[in-house]
Amino acid sequence: MAKLTPFTMPKWGIEMAEGTIADWMVAENAPFERGAVLTLIETDKITNEVEAEKDGRFVRIMAEAGQTYAVGALLAVLSDGGEASAAEIDAVIAAFRPSEAGFGPDGEDEAPVPAPAVAPAAPAAPLVPEGIAISPVALAEAQRLGVDLATVTGTGRGGRIFAQDVHQAGRPESQPALAGVFAMTADSAVLSTPVARRIAALNGLDLAKVKGSGHRGKVRRDDVLAVVSQAAPQPAPAAATPAPTPAPAAAAPVAGTVDIAPMSSMRRTIARRLTESKQQIPHFYVRRRVRADRLLALRASLGADKPSVNDFIVKACALALMEVPAVNIQVHGNDIHRFGSADVAVAVATEKGLVTPIVFGADDLSVAQIGAAMKALAQRARSGKLKPEEFSGGSFSLSNLGGFGVEQFDAIINPPQGAILAVGTARPEPIDDDGAIRIVPVLHLSLSCDHRAIDGADGGRFMAALANLIEQPHLL
Amino acid sequence: MVWEDWQKNTDGRATVQFNRDELLGAYRRMKIIREFEERLHEEIKTGEIAGFTHLYAGQEAVAVGICDQLTVEDMIVSTHRGHGHCIAKGCDVKGMMKEIFGRAGGLCKGRGGSMHIADLDVGMLGANGIVGGGAPQAVGAAIAARIDGKGRVGIAFSGDGACNQGTTFEAMNLAVVTKVPAIFVFENNHYSEHTGDAYAVGTNKDIASRAEGFGMKAWRANGCDFFETYTAFAELLEYVRAGNGPAAIELDTERYYGHFEGDPQRYRGKGEIDRIRAERDCLKAFRAKVVGAALLTDDDLDKVDAEVIAQIEEAVVEARADDLPDPATVADDVYVEYY
Amino acid sequence: MAIMNIREAIVSTLHAEMERDSDIILLGEDVVGGNGTAGGPEAIGGIWGTSPGLWEKFGPERVIDTPISESAIIGAAAGAALAGKRPVAELMFADFVGVSLDQIWNQMAKFRYMFGGKTKCPAVVRLVYGAGMSTAAQHSQSVYAMLTAMPGLKVVLPTTPADAKGLLTEALRGDDPVMYFEHKTLYGVKGEVPEGDYRQRFGEARMVREGGDVTVVACGRMVNFSEKAADKLAADGIGMDLLDLRTTSPLDEDAILESVEQTGRLVVVDETPPRCSLAADICAMVAQRAFSSLKAPPQMVTAPHSPIPFARNLERAWVPSPQKVEEAVRRVLAFR
Repeated sequence: MAKLTPFTMPKWGIEMAEGTIADWMVAENAPFERGAVLTLIETDKITNEVEAEKDGRFVRIMAEAGQTYAVGALLAVLSDGGEASAAEIDAVIAAFRPSEAGFGPDGEDEAPVPAPAVAPAAPAAPLVPEGIAISPVALAEAQRLGVDLATVTGTGRGGRIFAQDVHQAGRPESQPALAGVFAMTADSAVLSTPVARRIAALNGLDLAKVKGSGHRGKVRRDDVLAVVSQAAPQPAPAAATPAPTPAPAAAAPVAGTVDIAPMSSMRRTIARRLTESKQQIPHFYVRRRVRADRLLALRASLGADKPSVNDFIVKACALALMEVPAVNIQVHGNDIHRFGSADVAVAVATEKGLVTPIVFGADDLSVAQIGAAMKALAQRARSGKLKPEEFSGGSFSLSNLGGFGVEQFDAIINPPQGAILAVGTARPEPIDDDGAIRIVPVLHLSLSCDHRAIDGADGGRFMAALANLIEQPHLL
Repeated sequence: MVWEDWQKNTDGRATVQFNRDELLGAYRRMKIIREFEERLHEEIKTGEIAGFTHLYAGQEAVAVGICDQLTVEDMIVSTHRGHGHCIAKGCDVKGMMKEIFGRAGGLCKGRGGSMHIADLDVGMLGANGIVGGGAPQAVGAAIAARIDGKGRVGIAFSGDGACNQGTTFEAMNLAVVTKVPAIFVFENNHYSEHTGDAYAVGTNKDIASRAEGFGMKAWRANGCDFFETYTAFAELLEYVRAGNGPAAIELDTERYYGHFEGDPQRYRGKGEIDRIRAERDCLKAFRAKVVGAALLTDDDLDKVDAEVIAQIEEAVVEARADDLPDPATVADDVYVEYY
Repeated sequence: MAIMNIREAIVSTLHAEMERDSDIILLGEDVVGGNGTAGGPEAIGGIWGTSPGLWEKFGPERVIDTPISESAIIGAAAGAALAGKRPVAELMFADFVGVSLDQIWNQMAKFRYMFGGKTKCPAVVRLVYGAGMSTAAQHSQSVYAMLTAMPGLKVVLPTTPADAKGLLTEALRGDDPVMYFEHKTLYGVKGEVPEGDYRQRFGEARMVREGGDVTVVACGRMVNFSEKAADKLAADGIGMDLLDLRTTSPLDEDAILESVEQTGRLVVVDETPPRCSLAADICAMVAQRAFSSLKAPPQMVTAPHSPIPFARNLERAWVPSPQKVEEAVRRVLAFR
C-alpha cells in the first residue's frame, strides 16, 4: 500500500510568509523520479523550483496555479508509490494540521489560517531592506540592540550590512572634541620623531638633552615624556580646590581670648551627617600607590586650557566604577541601590564648608568635558549658587587634598554613597618599572568603603581598575 | 655544427706553448672539477643535499681552458651549472662544498646554495639561477672595466638554453653598441633542460652565428679539448683586451649528467652517455695528448688524480662536520644598513 | 638656501655627485640623446630633462645612452655595481619595471643576501611614475608597493626639491640598491634647497602640517593634495598631522604610530588601486600596533580597482583628489 504524505508550502528564509504557485510541472497521478521539478513557487524575491526528494506521484493536487498560499499550507497529497483511493486521500487531508498554526479550537477539522509570523517568543526579526544582504552577526546585533535596519547604511559590496554598520546606526552622533591645528614645530638636527619634537617644544625642552631610544639613537615621544614628567613632580593643584582661602589671618584671636562662633546651618548639617556616617557605617580602607608619570606627561602634552589632574582622576573613577559595579552603589537600610552610570561627587572646599557637587554620567564624558563641568560646578559652589539636585545623590565621592601637599589621608563616606576616594599629592618615589628602579611621581590613594555593602575584594578590584586607568591615561 | 667541422676550425691557429707546471695545473683543475661533480652525484643520492644541483661534469675543458687565461681581476658571471666556473676561477673548494651542503662555513654562509655561489674577491660575480640572468651583468662588469682602463674583461657564461633568452640578445647588442670588453661564452652541451639544440636553437645548432649577427666576432672550438679551447680563447682574449669591443665563442661540449640531479634523462639516445664518456672526455684526451707528446707521464697524472680524490674527500668530510647556519640570522645581510 | 624645482634639484645633484665620485655612472635610454644621428649628441639630456650636460662633462664612458633594452640596462647596472661602480640606471617610465623585473627582483635585491652578506650592490634605479598627464594605463602607474615588498631594495619618493636632492644624495652615497621615484607631474614644483653637502636620511617622515584630530599619511603628489585638504579642514577647526613618508622602505613607523596614538584617527592616501597597496600595508601595521588608540577604523583614500584611464576627466576621477581626502577625514571624525 502506498504511503501518503502531505505536500505543503515550503518556507525559504525567515521572513517568507506565503508563496504563489507559479506552475505545476507534473500532472496529478503522473509518476516522477527523484530530482524532478514538481512545481515553481514564487515569493517576494524569487521563483524557486521544488524538486522531488524521492520517486513518487501526486495522488491529488489541490492548490491551483496562480494562487497564493501561506507557508505550511497543504498544497497536494504525495504518494511514495502507486495510486491511492479517494478515501485514503481524504483521510490524509482531514488529518492535516498546518504546523504553524497549531491545532484549531475544539479539534475542528477546519484548518485555521496560519499566522504568517514566526516563532512567537523571539522579537520580530528586523525587516531587511529589499535586496540588501546582511551578515548573520549584523542581523543578530540589530535584533539585540533594537536597531531599525532601514536606517542602516551597509558598507559592504552592494550595500551589504555588517555588524559595524549596525553598531554605527545604533549610536548617537559623534561629537569629537577637536584639538585643532597646531603650530608647526621646527625640524631638529637631532634625529627625532615629529611628535617628540612637538612635545619638547611645548615644554621648552632641548632635544639635545634627551637620550633617544630608537634606531641610531632616535629620540621618540616616550623619551621626551620621561624627561618632561620628571621635571614636574607635583601636579597642578586639584582644580576642584584651588588653594581655598583659609580663615583670614587678620581674624586670628589674640592669645588668651576665645572667639566663639556658632555653627552655620550648613556646618550643622555637615556635622550631623558625618557623625552618623562615622558611627553607623563600618568603614574599611583600601590603600594603593599609583604611578602618575604617564598621566602627568599626557596632560603636559596637551595645549592650553588643559583639564586638571583631578579631572583625569574623576574620569578614571567613573570608568573604574563601571568596571566594578559593586562599588557604584548607594546603601539604603537593607537595600542596595545599584547604578548604571557613574555619578561622581567631587569635594569642593568653600568658605562655608565642604560641598560635593556631582558630575553626572562621568563615565560617558570626556576628560575635557568633565573639566568644563567641574569649573562651572566649582564656581557655582563657591558662589553659593548650587541647586540641590546638583549636590544630592551620586554613588561615589572624590576628595583631593593634594593641593596642600597632603600625601595621604582617609576620607569619611558621604551617606547614602557606598565609598569615597581620598587623593594626596604626587611625590617622586622609587617604583619598579619592569625590573628597573625609576623615580616617578606617585599618588597615594585611599578608598573608604561601607563594609555593609562592599567587601574587601570589591574594594581591591576597584582600586586595581582605578590604578590601571591612571597608569594608562590614554584609556581615559 | 658537427664534431668534424670543429676539428677543421682549429687548424691554422697559432700554437701555444705550455710548460710542465702549467700542464699539471690545468689537469689538476679539470680533475678537481670532475671529482667534485662526480662526488656530489653520489652525495646527493644520500638525500643530505637540499634543493637543485646542476652538475658540470664533462665540460671541464671549457671552464679551465678559459679561466686559466684570466686574472683575478677579470670578472665572470656564471649559470646555474656554475661549480666548474667557480672552481676554475679560484673559489675555495671547501667553502663551495660547505655551501652546497648548506653549512654555516659555506662561501655564502649557506644562504645561496649551489645555484648562487659567488666570490667577488676572485672575480666570480655569481652563479645565477635565472637562465640568461647573467649576460647583462657581464656587460655591466665590462662597462666598469672599460672605465678603469686596465684591460679587464667581463665574461658571461651561457648555454644553448640561455642563448634563446631575450636578455642575452639585449646584452649582446648593448655590448656591441657600447663597445665594451664583454665576452659571451656559449657552452653548447646540446641540451637546454630536456630539449635538444637541434630543436630549440633556430639557427641550426649554430649559436656563434647569432653573436655574429649582432655585430661581434665569434670563435668556435671543441669544448671537450682543453688545448683547442685554450688556443681559440687566447686569440679572442687578445682581441678583446686590445679594445676591439665584445666577442663571443661557442664551444661544443657535453654534460654527462642530467639537467639537474634527479633528471631521468629520457631524452638521451641509447648508449649515449657511455659513448660521450668514452669518446668525449677532456681528461682522457688531455692525458692522451700530453703523455703521447712525452710532456708528462701517466704517473704524473695518476699522482694528481690521487691527490685530488683525497682533497675532495676531505672537503666532503669537513662539510658534513660543519655547523648549520644559526636560524637567528635568517634575516641578516639583507642590507648594508637599513634604519 | 637656493630656490629651485625638483628637476633642477635632481640635475644639480647628479652633477655634484658625479663630480665628487668618479665611480658614479649613468645609463638609460636617451639620457643623452642623439647618438648615431645626424644631429649628434646631446639631443635631449633625458626625456624628462634630468640629465643635461652630464655627457659633455663626464664623457660617454660614464654617461651611456642605451638601446631600448630595459633588462640589459638594469642588468648592466647590477653587474657594474658588483664590479665596483655606483651606477644610476633610468627607467623612462616606472611601468617598464615589468620589462626588467628579473634584474631588479631576482638579481639586484638579492645579491647581498644570497652571497652571504659578502657583496654590496650600490645601484640606484630612477623611475618616473604617476598619473595626471593622460599618459594612460601603461605609462602612469605607481609601482612602489611592489618594490617596497621586496626585501633588499630601498624605495624612495621625494615630494619637495629639498628631498629630491637630499634623498638622491643619500641614495648615491649608500651601498644598497635604491629605487628612486620621480613623479612626472612634480618636476616643476619649487622649493628651498639647502646648498652644499645635504643628505636626507631614509626612514624619516616629514611632518607637513601639525594638528590633533587626524593623522594623514601620504607620499608623492598625494602629499600636496592632502595639504590642500588640510587648509580647508583648518577653516573648520580640524587639525591634521600630515606625514610625508619620503621613503616607504625603510618606513618611518615611529612617526606614524606616535601621531596615531595622539589623534586616534588615520587616513592613508595612495595613488594606486587598493588591493595589496601601500595604504593597506600601513593600515594593517597601525591596526596591529595601535589598535587601542584608534577611535575609528583607518581610512584608505585610493584609486579604484582599475587600470588608469586616458580621458582627462576620467583620469581626474581615478586619481585621489584633495576633496576625497577631505571627505575621508570628515568620515573618520564622524565615526560613532
